[in-house]
Order: sequence, then C-alpha cells, then structure tokens
Amino acid sequence: MSIEKAYILLSILVFLIGLLGVMVRKNLITMLVSTEIMLNGVNLTLVSADRFLGRVDGQILSFFVLTVAAAEVAVGLGLVVSIFRLRGYEGSSEIVHLRD
Amino acid sequence: MEGLLVILPPLFAFLVIAFWGRRMGDFPSGIVAVLGGFFSFLFSAYMVAVSLKEPVHLSLYNFLPLRDYTLSFGLFFDPLSSITSAVVTFVATLIFLYSIGYMHHEFGRWTYKFYAYLSLFLFAMLLIVLSDNLLGIFFGWEGVGLASYLLIGYYHQQKKAANASLEAFVMNRIGDWLFIFGIISTFLVFGTLSLPEIFEGVRSVESGLLMIPTLLLFGGAVGKSGQLPLHTWLPNAMAGPTPVSALLHAATMVAAGVYMVARLYPLFEAAPQTLKAVAVVGGLTALFAALAATSHTDMKKIIAFSTMSQLGYMFLALGVGDMGGAMFHLTTHAFFKALLFLAAGSVITAFHHKFYDIYSFGNLRKYMPVTYAGFVVGALALAGVFPLSGFWSKDRLIGSYYEASYMWGVLGTAVAFITAYYIFREAFVVFHGEERFRRVVSEAPREVPAVMTVPMVVLGIMAVVGGVFEGVYMKAIGGAEKGIHVEVAIVSVGVAIGGIVLAYVVFGGRYISAGSLYPSLRAVHTLFREQFFTERFYHSFVAKGYLLLSKGAFQIGDRGIIDGFINFSYRTFMKSVKVVWKIFDVKSIDLLLHCLAIGSFRGGKLLRNLQTGLLNSYVMFLLIGILIILGIMLYALERVEG
Repeated sequence: MSIEKAYILLSILVFLIGLLGVMVRKNLITMLVSTEIMLNGVNLTLVSADRFLGRVDGQILSFFVLTVAAAEVAVGLGLVVSIFRLRGYEGSSEIVHLRD
Repeated sequence: MEGLLVILPPLFAFLVIAFWGRRMGDFPSGIVAVLGGFFSFLFSAYMVAVSLKEPVHLSLYNFLPLRDYTLSFGLFFDPLSSITSAVVTFVATLIFLYSIGYMHHEFGRWTYKFYAYLSLFLFAMLLIVLSDNLLGIFFGWEGVGLASYLLIGYYHQQKKAANASLEAFVMNRIGDWLFIFGIISTFLVFGTLSLPEIFEGVRSVESGLLMIPTLLLFGGAVGKSGQLPLHTWLPNAMAGPTPVSALLHAATMVAAGVYMVARLYPLFEAAPQTLKAVAVVGGLTALFAALAATSHTDMKKIIAFSTMSQLGYMFLALGVGDMGGAMFHLTTHAFFKALLFLAAGSVITAFHHKFYDIYSFGNLRKYMPVTYAGFVVGALALAGVFPLSGFWSKDRLIGSYYEASYMWGVLGTAVAFITAYYIFREAFVVFHGEERFRRVVSEAPREVPAVMTVPMVVLGIMAVVGGVFEGVYMKAIGGAEKGIHVEVAIVSVGVAIGGIVLAYVVFGGRYISAGSLYPSLRAVHTLFREQFFTERFYHSFVAKGYLLLSKGAFQIGDRGIIDGFINFSYRTFMKSVKVVWKIFDVKSIDLLLHCLAIGSFRGGKLLRNLQTGLLNSYVMFLLIGILIILGIMLYALERVEG
C-alpha cells in the first residue's frame, strides 16, 4: 500500500469521524467541533492529492477552506452563545425547533 | 361679411355663458347676454341701411354636396329680413336687460343658464329670419323650439312648468313634422331650397302643384304661432318666467310662424287655395283667442290669449293678401306686446312672484306709476286707439279685410271690440279699484328698479310712435301703399273706445256689478274659460287616450308577448344549462379537482413526517442526497469513459 493511499484513507476516516459526530451528538458545540473535523479531513485530502500530483492548487484551496472555517466558527459560536443565553442552559439541537 | 356679425353675437354670448357662466357669476352672464343682443342690434341696423339700397346675399358654407344639389348655409338680407332682425334684436335686448331685474331674486341659483338659453333663443330666431334657404330656416325653427322648451320649463321643479314645456315641445313637434314635409315637397317641386331661386321658379310652376307644399309649410307656422288647432301650448307656456313670455310673444317664437309665411309669400300667393286656409285659420283663431281672453283671470294668460288673437289677425291679413300689413302689425305688436308683458312682470316682481291672479291686486296705479303708464300705453296700442302704433297697423289690416270680404271685415271689427274690452278689464282690475292685496300682504308694493323700468319706457315710446313709420316700412318691404280708410278708422277707434267703456263700466266704475251678471252668463263664461273645451279635449281625450293605448300595448304587447317570450326562453335556457352543469361540471371537472386536492392533501400529510426539526436528521438527509448525486455522477462518468 502506497503512502498516498494511506493518506487518502486517513483523510476519509477523519471526515467520517466528523460526519458521525455531527449526526450522532446532540450538543451544539460538539457538532460545531465535528464540522471542523470534517473540514480538516477534506483539507488533508487536498494536500495529499497535491503532493501526489505535484501541484499547488489544492494547497491554495486548503488555505481558503481554513479561512472559511475560521469565519464559520466565529459565526457559529456566536449563534450558539446567543442560543444559550436565550435558553439559559447548555441546549441540544432539539432546543432549536426547526420544524415549527 | 358684416352680415355675419348680426347673427354671431348671440351665439358667442351663448357659448361664453354656457362655458364660463358658472365662473363669471349670474350678473355678468346677464350683462354678456345683453351685450350680445345689443351688438347684434347695432349690426342689423347697419344691415338695414345697406340692404335698403340693394339686397345682400352671403353664401357662407356648403356643408353637404349631393348629386344634383348642394346643401349650404347662407344669409340673405333683403329689407324684410333685415328690418325684422333689427326689430327682433331691439326688443330682445330690452327684454334681456329687463330680465336682469326680473331674475334678480334667483341670482346665485345657476341663473346664468337662463341667460345662456335666452341668447340661444335669439340666435335661433335670427337664423330663421336671415337664412337664405329653407333648411337654414328649419335649423333655426328647431333651435327656437329647443330654447323655448328649456325656458318655459325653467322652473323645472314645478310640475306645472315641466308639463307646460313638454306640451309646448310636443305641439311644436306636430307643426315641425308638417314643416319638414313641406320643405321636402317644396324641394320636390322646385329642385332647390334656396329662397331667391324658389321665388324665381314660382312663375313657371303650376299653382295646383304648390297647394300641398304650402299647406304643409303653413302647418309648421300653425304649430309655432299657436294657431288653431295647435294652440293649447301657448297659454300654458306662461308657466315660464315673464321675460321669457315677453320674448316668446313679442320677438322670437310665435312671430316665426307669421314671418315664415310672409317670407315665402310669393310661394303662398301662387297657391290661392292655401291662402284661403290661412285666412280661415287666422280669422277663427283671432276670434277664438279673444273670447277665451275675456274670461281668464291669470295676469299673463290674458296677454297670451291676446297674442294668439293678434297672430290670428296677421294670418288673416296674410290670407287676404296684405303681406305688408301683416308684417307691420307684427312689428308694432312686438313693441306693445313686449311692453304689456314687461308691465305684467313688474307687477309680479312687486309682489315677489307670489300672485298671478288679477283679482289679487287692485289699485296699483298709486304705488307703481311707471308700470301703470306702461301697461296703459300697451293696452291702448293693442286696442288700436288713435294715434298709437297699434292704430296704424290694425286699421290697415281691418281695411284689407273689408276689401277682401265683408265677413272678414266684420270679424276684424268684432275682435277689435273684444280686444279692447279684455285688455282694459285687466288694466282696471289690476290698477284701479280697491286694494285687494291688503287681505294677504300688509306692506304696500313698491315700483320696480330702473333696470326694469327703462326697457318699459323705451318700448312705450316705440309703442306710441311706431305707427309713423308705416309708409317707410311699406316702401322698404314692397307692400302695397294704402291710404287710411277714414270710415274704417272711425269705426275701429269707436269700437275700441266702446270696448274700453264697457270694461270701465263693469270693472272700473262698477256701475254694473259683475257678480250679479255672473249667474246668467255662467255657461258662456265656462265655455270661454275652457277655450271651447279644446284644451280639455286634447288633455283628456287625445293625451289620455294615447296614454291608455300605450298602457294597453304595454300590458299586452310588452308584458304578455315580449316578456312572456323572454321569460319562457330564460326558463328553458336555465333548465338546459343545469343539465349541462350536472354532467360536465360536477361529474368531470369538479371530480378531477377534488381528486387533485385530496391527493396533494394526503401526500403532504405523509411527507410532513420527514420534517423532524432535528439538526442530526437533516444532516443525514444531506448525506443521503450527496451520496445519491455522487452515485449518479460516478455512473455517468463510467458511461462516458466506457
């Protein structure tokens, strides 16, 4: 098994861990963190593919992803904090009544 | 082109008042109407001077070229038409001036309409007088009819006035219907409508052919001049304001009939049978209206019957061949009849438009000297007392009657006697005797303002001196010169004074009590008062019969046949539509729609379960979606590569 395949497999693993976290956990902060894990999994794919192909596009794209992730965390954390303030306790996603 | 200026000022005044009257206010509207009449008078006086030298013919506009003949509009100034237009505008201007005073209590209630109608009336009359063809005369004829309808019904909130205007309109329609057929038949005979061409063509046409056109044209004159048998509208037209009555009777409306016959006199002269009919109608009307006037007590109706009677005089004169005398009497009559009406209007104004019956006044000479003088001058002129204008024209007419036939002469003398009697009966009852108005009003009446007395004074002067112009007038319009018949003159003046004395004996001095005579004369009084039951006959038999017929036709034809058919077809249609509705609408379209609605309702209920509201499940759906899209893409990629 070549090193590239191993990197790809690792990145898929990281992505799936994040996905599972988002899907299973109910704590909002945990879900936010899981999203970050998914993003990093994707970043790993990009960088390793770059390395594999000998190009730099993926690395540039991964910087963009990092930037967007930072922005997303800032917004998401703000939302979560305001939800907590509104509800008064550490709520889960059930508290956010998306249905009604 | 100066001729056009005669006819335009009233039209211009009408348009100005009609469009800006409301903004200008009522008083300025009246001033505009007076100015319109006055300028028209100035230019027509100028045209009299021009046309005395040579007739002026203005062809203005060809509006409808036909195959053989072109309908056109034009003015024709010969001495007859230009002098008549001068008289008409002169009297009308004075009446317009008077109406500013008369209508003063109505100011602020859209009285500008009144002046607009007056100007329109004058314009239409000038069109009749000056038009150079029969069609133009017909336009004016209808315009006069319309304006009189509007003016008689000016107090349209009163039932009486509304009915009177309707009656005038319908009666005039009968005359106008005859008139237009007269025009058509004249055109068939001559092939032209132009007056000068008709006069030229008269000599070459057989007189038998002319009888029907002239009779029909005379029918129009009968309707417009209120002669028998189309007379009932004329006394009822007194429901309008008094200046309207004066205008109607002195200058415009009723004079149109006489003028039209005089205008077409060469045509009528060529048809002696028609002239006989004209004489008979005129003579009968003269006597009939004079008798009716003796028994009425309405201030204005007496004068209205007097107009009818005097118009009958003129028609009789036309019938016996004295066109010049008839037109001269029309002129003098315009002055003194306008004067009488204005005096009557002053009395009505002095009593605030409340009383019209002559027995509600009495002894007004003490309070209204100018009005009294005006009325007496008018009455003396009407009675034909020497040397007022009425004497000259009437004497000439009666002389002509005696020349034609002894019967007509005696009739003329008798009518002169009755005329003097009834007009002085009114004068004595209103201006002499005890003050009967005291029973109702306590305050004494006051003389009317100068705006009303000045026209009366001017007309009074004309009524006195108008007779002097007889020779000039006859020479101008080409009537035969006739000397005074001394014996006829003496007889008529004697008869007139006899009538005045009789009126004085009964109503002035009360040497004979009218009350004690009444029972023995009751039948005669009723007969005269009801105008020999003609009005009652028209109203209760002709009009009611027509209404009954219409109602019957309405019940049977409209309600029974037409409505029955419509109701039947409506019901049948509704039934068939219901069937179609059940089959097509309910069973197919509605069913489909219901199925659609229920299906989407149930589907929605089912799909609603997917909306859990949990973030986790949404992420799962997202994942499933991505996987599906990914699968499709991979599949497609494989197909492309493969």
